[in-house]
Amino acid sequence: MTEQIPEAVVWCLAVGLLAVTVLLARQRGISARQRKRNGELAGDLLSREEELRHLVTVRLPALEESAHRPAPGVGLLDTRLAETDFAKCLDGVLERFAEAVGRSQARADRSAKAALKSSMRSIQALASEQQVAISEMQDRHDHPDVLRDLLEIDHANAQFGRRAQAIAVLCGSWPGRQRAASALTDVVRGSTSRIRDYRRIRIHGEVDIAVESRAVEPVVLAVAELLDNAARHSQPSTQVEVGIRSVHNGACVVIDDAGVGMDGQALEKAALLLSGRHTVDVTRLDDPPQFGFAVVGVLAQRYGFGVSVDTHSPYGGVRAVVFLPGALLTHRDAADGTAEAAHAGGSPAAGPASRPPSEPPVGAAAPTTAGGLPRRRRRAAQGPAAARPAPTAAAEAGTRSAEETARRIGAFARGTLNGRAAEDTPRDTARRAAGEDARDTSHDDEGNNRG
Amino acid sequence: MSPPRPRPSGRLVRPYVVTEGRAHPSRGTLDLVTLLIAADGPPPSGLGPEKRRLTELCRPGALSVAEVAGHLSLPVSVTKVLVADLMDSGHIVALAPIPAALPSDARILKEVLDGLRARL
Repeated sequence: MTEQIPEAVVWCLAVGLLAVTVLLARQRGISARQRKRNGELAGDLLSREEELRHLVTVRLPALEESAHRPAPGVGLLDTRLAETDFAKCLDGVLERFAEAVGRSQARADRSAKAALKSSMRSIQALASEQQVAISEMQDRHDHPDVLRDLLEIDHANAQFGRRAQAIAVLCGSWPGRQRAASALTDVVRGSTSRIRDYRRIRIHGEVDIAVESRAVEPVVLAVAELLDNAARHSQPSTQVEVGIRSVHNGACVVIDDAGVGMDGQALEKAALLLSGRHTVDVTRLDDPPQFGFAVVGVLAQRYGFGVSVDTHSPYGGVRAVVFLPGALLTHRDAADGTAEAAHAGGSPAAGPASRPPSEPPVGAAAPTTAGGLPRRRRRAAQGPAAARPAPTAAAEAGTRSAEETARRIGAFARGTLNGRAAEDTPRDTARRAAGEDARDTSHDDEGNNRG
Repeated sequence: MSPPRPRPSGRLVRPYVVTEGRAHPSRGTLDLVTLLIAADGPPPSGLGPEKRRLTELCRPGALSVAEVAGHLSLPVSVTKVLVADLMDSGHIVALAPIPAALPSDARILKEVLDGLRARL
């Protein structure tokens, strides 16, 4: 019996040992797995930390830069995280951030636009007021020196007004001036009036086309911006050639400069701005701000004309083409007619020469100036103008009646003198006759001088 | 006094563009009442719209500088610059201005007085 005890102990020990061994082995496997898992988790944590850092240092700034457009190429750092909740949360953060940025940008843009618009409108109003004052001064003062100064002030004022107008338009305002339908040539010359180097602009082409009243001011402003660009980006010694052409379903204004032209990137940017589809962010214009193309684009989009700058000018610079569709155009005669009607008088080119000179003015159509004074009618031509002797021209109408009056009074005086001569003493008669003679002579002299 | 001329939005083409920046007429003989007649000179091609219109206005008969300015709705001083240019290029002829009645010569007056005294 006692012999069996150690054996049992041995067996027990052996079984225990085996169990321990098995347990140990198992434990070893478990701990190895644990270690591996720990390693993985630590790696995972590390990559998430990296990912977060990437988000803060790269992805958010990129998003900020690209103004709420998802920037291509800046995604997750570790693609293994792509499908995880963590990645979705990160995307959520990005989205919220983008929304917040977008909202605050829109708000900033709106308030900047509102502030700019109202201040520019008031400046614009002042410029218009000043222009009226300058025009009145030009009418009032006749001295060439005064006129020269006034022309300079007028020129500066026109440029100043255009700047204010352009910024106001960019901020969503209307061009703001009502004009009568005007000949396309005058519209282009009106644009020329508003730029610094107006002397360098040469306008070619004569077409019988006028621009509709509502489109005059926008077209003037758009062409002025293009002309200003053309003049500023070319040598001061060169000229800017403007061609006005009638095309199949509208008219074109072609502006050629002899400047340096634009590179591919600038052309792309210009085309984007000129299309008018891209909303212009006034807070994101370059420094110094480049308004030109943006304003032209806004106007083109709003009034339905087309502008392109993607052709090269034969002079080496840029060729800008403004296409005005037929809807914005009218015939020149119609435009002239309305302008004349608005001017409260008959067309000076028609009428008087063909009408008999004695015809009285007819009712409300009587030619009067805007101030209510009767307008002088032109005397009818009598034969070739150059062949007409000068005295005839001067002796007509106004002057003749005065001379006749003088002559008749003289004759009357002589007659009464002769009649009374019998009663008067010879001495008196002689005295009076001498007086009359002297007076007659002076009349004749005057008459001759006037002739 | 007449009310100011209605000018809702100002002239579209500013006067400095019309005169190409010049304010001094090339001749100083022009007056408000100088009469202008279109000459049978060179054809009006190559002239600016205002100058062409000016020659057209003067073609049927004589017009004074003031009237031309009114028809063109330009300031008189600006019109003078244009007219002087057109006279230089031979498109327009100006008639000699009508002089104001000359004040009589003091010598003649004295002679008349003497003559009268002699007869009295």
